[in-house]
Amino acid sequence: MAPSHGNSHSEAAKIEQIITEIFHKSLQIILEVRAPDTSSRNFSGEQAMSSPSSSSSSSSSLRARDKWFNLALRECPAVLENLDLWRQSNCQRMVVDVVLVQRPVDWDSVNFSPKGNSSSKERYPYCWNSDQDEFRGQVRSEKTIERWVLQYESRKVKDNRSSGSRRSSNNNSHALYKKSILLLRSLYATVRLLPAYKIFRDLNSSCQIRTFSLAHRVFSHDEPFSRREQAEMQRFGFTPLETSSGRLCLSVLYRSSELDMSSESSTPMSPHVISDYVGSPLADPLKRFPSLPVAAPSSLPFSRRHSWGFDLYRASPPLVSFSPSPSPTYSEPQASFSNRSSCHFPPMSLPPHPPETSLAYKKHTSFDYCPSPAFSPSPSASPPICIPGSHLSKGLLRSESAPVNIPTSKLGSSPSLSNKQYLPPSPPIRSTRSGTLRTDNCTGPIHTGATVEQFSPGKDEIRKYFGMKISANCSPQISYSRSSSRSFQDDFDGSDFACAFDVDDDDMTDPRSRPDSFDQKGHFCEPIEPGGFFPIRKSHDAAVGDLVRMLKKAPPLRAEFSNSLNVPQASRPEIWSNSIQERNAAVQHAASASMTSSGFVTLKTTADALEELQGYREMKNLLFEQGGKSYT
Amino acid sequence: MNCEVCQLNELEVEHFEIREVLRCILHTVVFHRALGLVRPKDIDLELFEITYVQCGDAELEKKIDEKIDQFIGWVEKHPNKKSQICLSFYEVKNRQPSWFIANKVERLYWEQWYINLNVAQHTKAHSSKSHHSKVVVDPRESAPEERSARRAALEASLREVLFQIIKFVNEKKDHVPPIPTLEGVVCFPFEITIPSSSDSFGMDIFKRMLQTGHPTMLS
Repeated sequence: MAPSHGNSHSEAAKIEQIITEIFHKSLQIILEVRAPDTSSRNFSGEQAMSSPSSSSSSSSSLRARDKWFNLALRECPAVLENLDLWRQSNCQRMVVDVVLVQRPVDWDSVNFSPKGNSSSKERYPYCWNSDQDEFRGQVRSEKTIERWVLQYESRKVKDNRSSGSRRSSNNNSHALYKKSILLLRSLYATVRLLPAYKIFRDLNSSCQIRTFSLAHRVFSHDEPFSRREQAEMQRFGFTPLETSSGRLCLSVLYRSSELDMSSESSTPMSPHVISDYVGSPLADPLKRFPSLPVAAPSSLPFSRRHSWGFDLYRASPPLVSFSPSPSPTYSEPQASFSNRSSCHFPPMSLPPHPPETSLAYKKHTSFDYCPSPAFSPSPSASPPICIPGSHLSKGLLRSESAPVNIPTSKLGSSPSLSNKQYLPPSPPIRSTRSGTLRTDNCTGPIHTGATVEQFSPGKDEIRKYFGMKISANCSPQISYSRSSSRSFQDDFDGSDFACAFDVDDDDMTDPRSRPDSFDQKGHFCEPIEPGGFFPIRKSHDAAVGDLVRMLKKAPPLRAEFSNSLNVPQASRPEIWSNSIQERNAAVQHAASASMTSSGFVTLKTTADALEELQGYREMKNLLFEQGGKSYT
Repeated sequence: MNCEVCQLNELEVEHFEIREVLRCILHTVVFHRALGLVRPKDIDLELFEITYVQCGDAELEKKIDEKIDQFIGWVEKHPNKKSQICLSFYEVKNRQPSWFIANKVERLYWEQWYINLNVAQHTKAHSSKSHHSKVVVDPRESAPEERSARRAALEASLREVLFQIIKFVNEKKDHVPPIPTLEGVVCFPFEITIPSSSDSFGMDIFKRMLQTGHPTMLS
């Protein structure tokens, strides 16, 4: 198969080509799970691979490479760089050192990011034959944890012997190719079983400021280890591939002892992050972006990538959040970008969660959005401002904890929790906060009208505002939008209780989230998304009915009243998703509240009532328009 | 053709661990025998800090999962038994019709992997059958500890089994048939045999022997 790709016709040339490709593929296999930056770089690539269609559209060169040894891997630029250099040296020996680097504390934060890693890694080629003084100068310590040695030993002399052996028939390119496949398969599995893989995974999954990182070097000649080092290393040798002209040996020396990564786990933010991580993101991204290939369930080959996506996603909340210690949190996302491995969740576990989570999440969402006014250009609304940092963070934790439960206990805990959150707070707040609501409503439309694109910049601003940035790495990917939406929610999560009513704005602001989240739960909600949502379904008549009912009961129209009316109206989408009944109740509640506030009510004539009705209609239409805008 | 046999180390597992352990082992073997174009898929075990590789082929996955389900069903009916799952790779050959066997298609087994499981029923309460001989003051306190120790031990053995597979794959390459060149054929044909309630495992093998006329596989 693969040999047929070769231009050369002679058997020897084919074999040579196979050997060359083995070097390439091996390096690729190793670096794929040892070089942190490859993950971030390949994030889009993996996306491509995860969806069949996109993979087919990927460049032909990549496809050709995939066909080699029937092993489709992600293309890794670092591999190409290293390999080119290696080829220049025309060596028959390739040594790949995987180095655990402990960085000084004051290391520039940029360097903690995968990006930083990549840059340092990119330097490696230039340091081809060792000499990394510059790098070492800045680095506190490094330790070689793995050394892969791939070597082709020419053996022309022994040709006769091998041809005389029973293998002679096997020594053609086809047999070699088959064995190469087997060798590379086992290499592929092995790199994931060695201890360094765990480090790689931990480094990528932890969102801590990383005092450690992995680096790699590709040499053509290795510096021998010290005796002591050697004693700490174990060796795994793959069975050499015999060819007519020599043999190809692959082996690895690896450090089996527990590596001193303890400080890693002790970094301040880790507990925070972990709790943050577990649940919510799973569902959310999936629900929200069904169209995105990454979000698809386990059917996709690269399930892990999804989880990386989640990592991103998860990581982001802290960013945006008003958490008092932004910088530590902030580093997380970057870490997570590189994080291929975070996914401690087996991919299998992903699919089941979304429905349940989404349910819970949606409810959360409504609350999460409360703070949105804060994000609006005119942060006139008091609620967001009122939100104390502590409260927020507490809220964050809470929201995090709820999702955490999701994977394990599934539906059970979180939805109920969110239910609790959802129901109790809203009515009282509505009645009391009509003034605030008014302002919210004002900002609401702004949000509503905003398209998704407009929205995300706002997010950016927010992040900037908090001295954070969205790393460029993630931006092109799906995760970007996800993380943004997610972060929003998270931020706001904390504020749920403080100002539940703000939900409205959020609802409208987050058109993306709701359609997805709804589809599981209420079908009636779905249609909402496509068009102007109210009128299409029951909403129109129901709304009119409500209005009429209100008219019957309601006090005369006042500014206040309209305000209070707005509240339910604005919040309607959310409520509706839950139940119409609630909404009605809320409306009535609001009405009665305003009634009490307005005091004495004078009787009105039918004409007045009609007038008012007309006014309501207009108002309603306006709202629908706004809603429609935001959803289209 | 040789039929290579690999006896994998016995693993002592609890019921709830069966699925993951089997998945991990079966997929790892199949990954080394699915020599068609694959897009490997890393799977992190939930119970253990182990990552294994799947071929990313839904059919394979389904087939394996179904067998695992069957096996778990069998285990439930036969608790506290050692059991063996056999993953066999074969080639299909048309054979000359002979006077005693009507089948025209025969399976030539060229490799068999025996997965040995000892499914333990650990009672929740601390019992003397645990491998830890130390005297335990408070069972409730020690139970998790012991559990995690047991888990760690299983993880280590599972890792060892995976290395066993890798080593076997490395050492024995000659018997692997030529890679099928058909498009879309990912893996060599294989079957997974689990002990069945109707006949004993040995009987099963015997039957297969009759079917294929391959006495070497018993060696």
